[in-house]
Amino acid sequence: MSGNDINRRNFLKVMGWGGAGVALSGCDMPTTVTLEEGKETVVSYIMPEEYVIPGQGVYFASTCQQCSAGCGVHGRVREGRVLKLEGNTESPINTGKLCQMGQSGVQAHYNPDRIQKPMLRKGGALVEVTWEEAAAALADKTGKDSSLNGGRAAWLTGTVSGHQSVLLQAHLEALGSSRHYTHEVINNAVATQVNQDMFGEVQPTYHVTKAKVVLSFGADLVGTSMSPVHFSREHTKFRSAPRGVLIQVEPKMTLTGGNADLWIAAKPGSEGVLAMGIANELLAKHGLSGDALPGGLRDSIASYNTDKVVEITGVAKTKIVEVAKVLAERSPSLVLTGASTEAHEHGYQSVAAAMMLNVILGNIGKTITSSGEFPFPQLTAKRGDMKGLLAFAEHADKGEIDVAFFYGVNPVYTAPKFLNLEQKLDKIPFKVVLTQFYDETANRADLVLPLASALEDWGTHVPGYLPEDKIISMQQPLMEKLYKETHGLGDVLLSLLKMRKPEEYEGFADYYAFLREAFAAIPSDHKGGVGDEKFWMQALQFGVIPVNVAERSIKPTPIEADLPALKEDISYPFYLVPSAHLGLWDGRHANLPWLQEAPDQISKVVWGSWVEMHPKTAARLGVENGEFVRVESMQGSIEAPLYTHRGIHPNAVAVPLGQGHEEYGRYAKGRGVNPLKILNPVTDEKTGEPALYGTRVQVAKAPFDEKQKMVRFGGSETQVGRKLVASITADVFNRTEGA
Amino acid sequence: MSLQNILTNWSQYRKGHEQGGFHDYEHMWGMAVDLNKCIGCNACSVACYAENNLGIVGKDRFEKGQGMHWMRIERYWDEPNLAPGVSEEFPSRGASFLPMMCQQCNAATCEPVCPVAATYHTPDGLNAQVYNRCIGSRYCSNNCPYRLRYFNFYSYYDWSWPEPLNMQLNPDLSVRDKGVMEKCTFCVQRIRVAKDTARREDRKVADGDVYPACVQTCPTDALVFGDMLDPESSVTKLWKAHQVELGKTKQHKDNEELRGYRIFEGLNTDPCVMYLERVREVEV
Repeated sequence: MSGNDINRRNFLKVMGWGGAGVALSGCDMPTTVTLEEGKETVVSYIMPEEYVIPGQGVYFASTCQQCSAGCGVHGRVREGRVLKLEGNTESPINTGKLCQMGQSGVQAHYNPDRIQKPMLRKGGALVEVTWEEAAAALADKTGKDSSLNGGRAAWLTGTVSGHQSVLLQAHLEALGSSRHYTHEVINNAVATQVNQDMFGEVQPTYHVTKAKVVLSFGADLVGTSMSPVHFSREHTKFRSAPRGVLIQVEPKMTLTGGNADLWIAAKPGSEGVLAMGIANELLAKHGLSGDALPGGLRDSIASYNTDKVVEITGVAKTKIVEVAKVLAERSPSLVLTGASTEAHEHGYQSVAAAMMLNVILGNIGKTITSSGEFPFPQLTAKRGDMKGLLAFAEHADKGEIDVAFFYGVNPVYTAPKFLNLEQKLDKIPFKVVLTQFYDETANRADLVLPLASALEDWGTHVPGYLPEDKIISMQQPLMEKLYKETHGLGDVLLSLLKMRKPEEYEGFADYYAFLREAFAAIPSDHKGGVGDEKFWMQALQFGVIPVNVAERSIKPTPIEADLPALKEDISYPFYLVPSAHLGLWDGRHANLPWLQEAPDQISKVVWGSWVEMHPKTAARLGVENGEFVRVESMQGSIEAPLYTHRGIHPNAVAVPLGQGHEEYGRYAKGRGVNPLKILNPVTDEKTGEPALYGTRVQVAKAPFDEKQKMVRFGGSETQVGRKLVASITADVFNRTEGA
Repeated sequence: MSLQNILTNWSQYRKGHEQGGFHDYEHMWGMAVDLNKCIGCNACSVACYAENNLGIVGKDRFEKGQGMHWMRIERYWDEPNLAPGVSEEFPSRGASFLPMMCQQCNAATCEPVCPVAATYHTPDGLNAQVYNRCIGSRYCSNNCPYRLRYFNFYSYYDWSWPEPLNMQLNPDLSVRDKGVMEKCTFCVQRIRVAKDTARREDRKVADGDVYPACVQTCPTDALVFGDMLDPESSVTKLWKAHQVELGKTKQHKDNEELRGYRIFEGLNTDPCVMYLERVREVEV
């Protein structure tokens, strides 16, 4: 590191520890046992070649990059190859476990369709070039001697955190730009805004295990909501005797809904009204206090008498009464929301109504607590959402962006048709796509930089959802790079920074050197009393760095929910549910054959798209299982085979996210349809976040397409009277196993 | 077994496992699956693909039932009929998920029909498949009531592991080719490592020394694995607590409310996998 001129405060900021106030505690001293003694198999990567023991797997700790939950992994490495990923037992996020997406991380790494060389657009076509040529093009367009007006450069990324985020912000600063757009299709943008307004922080800690009842308005806790493995772990404790009750309200059964004690299909968009109705029952019939609520809100609740709520939501009166009763009787409880409640025109209002129940039920401070003050705000996750993409598209359209960098996103695939993104991208003269795979966005790039895989790269990560134990998670290479001409994100960022601020960053040979220096720069009182070297080795060995946070408490300010009447639409009678599932996620895993061949948990479809519909609706439309239907919105239509089941509201039509790729390698390309394409331009009025679940569609029978036909796992939908899955009541369970 | 023999010893027909024998075994690997904990997420299945070099068959062959999922999750829609008045319009109590892997039956119906003894019982109580011996008669698969044997109708190699995906292959076990039957082994390669390590250290294999890939990754701890001959193992304790016993054709329970059961118990296959009943709150 050069430059004694950089003062301490600035130095900390460059290293990512800016805003540090509280101690960062180290781990206990690891017992150092050599591999030769054959006892300790978790070792740091700093060992020389001798760590290779022929015939024996050695485990290295790192962080899963398949979604932004930040689970810790142990990679099994044998003879220099990573063979399998297991969960890291040291990580409080996943405590030794992994989901199927995490297990498939090795297939993203060894994927046969990875880009191996940079590609530069020459005369209209992308051609492979050397890294030197790519770097020259970058320097020419973005370096400090270039003609670039730095303020007109932008980054569009997925959720980023840790030191990669520090370098990314540093790059923007070096450019003199504030244009960092973050984009994720699967997000909690509306809920985090309500959290901010109601609780004063975007992501409080949810204690599922302490709740006796969880009322979830579409939160796919064990699936796609916040941290799948973490909440699956919580679910197990929650379901142990004395067993907690899970009530799920949603238009289409999610994985979490499949595990509910009571699954309720409310009319899409009416979830907030149902919450108000339950609140009314609680206040009027069960004597709960509404003193914490503003007077206007109390009046508003009182106006939602149960009969009116039944009429609006279509939920049976007995169920509303029962749900209120069980919430009143079993305290504390926890009320959460998910995409199907959040992503409507009045999503913010519905979430506010649902979260208000937590105030009435006295859950604040019990099952919802503050996540505290994370001491290194520079490192925390910059969350992506849909409106980030909208803002990016708008600014591109206005010609405000001259250079755009893309990382962790595939906007050409995820952008709805109404956004006209391709045309708007054409207005950006120089588009740089950092990616492992040739996806739809790379296809329109001017320069494609091939990234090293997550298993070949360095990094630090702060998970988007942090449980009680706060950590920074370490990512280290599990093996040598497969392709010489790929680079890690950190290394690319450093190269870019050297082009703008050589005096400040020339001293770092690579991202590893930066990270080493960053770790040495943590003030010594944050190192738990160990030296620099030991601190670093511990981080690599355990894969996590525990972080102490300053405690905070939550004083809720309930929001007056203003729920509009649901609008009917005669020509487009159904709500489109662009459902997400643990597997293909938002489409980023469509190129992993294990996940293509892994049946969707609910429909059991493999290798393609499908449309879910209630059998009643299908009968009315005269279509049957396996036949093709056309789902048409004002923006366009898609055709896919039909799967009917009762786990969906008769007014809803679900099409899963993930398929419909036009690029993205041999396993993904030309398979199924992408429901994001036909979304209507509706947004949540309060936050501006596109309402993914607010699109209206009509459905009609379509011609059969042999190539896109539906293939499902399993034959029988029922047990045909055999004792395969036997069930008993929670009452019996608590009696026999509640000791 | 001749017809005469069967008729003479009719009362003992398919009850041979009651005579014991496995008590002399070195280990008796068994499992318990808690359906109250299982959420049907499919992590176990993909972990199995990663560990055991399971081939990808692709859409068309999957349609023909050739999927290689040694560990699979069945999903049933029928209501468990726990309480009257449950809505017929919606599956109000969610779905029913069932992880199915080889049940490692002690009286396995697949074993006696193999014309070349490719499938046999190991001294660990495992129902093993010797790939080198297998001639692909598929009698075993035809005889398995659980449909847990998977046949390589084709060579799935090119489609499954184009370079460099082949670098992920686990060198601890083979890649099976066309004409061979394969099945869940309880990750026998991991068991072997655990046994070798224990022997080197001059001790017995302890509970927790070895987990099959599915058990290791299960996010909800729904799967419990261990040695049924080790009275201290968690799996033994669980079987005992739920009063399910190996080597019985009829289970006796003091408390009928205990959740343990084996699938198709009545077929007398004596499986080494016990299931614990799914639980639902019916007060709401």
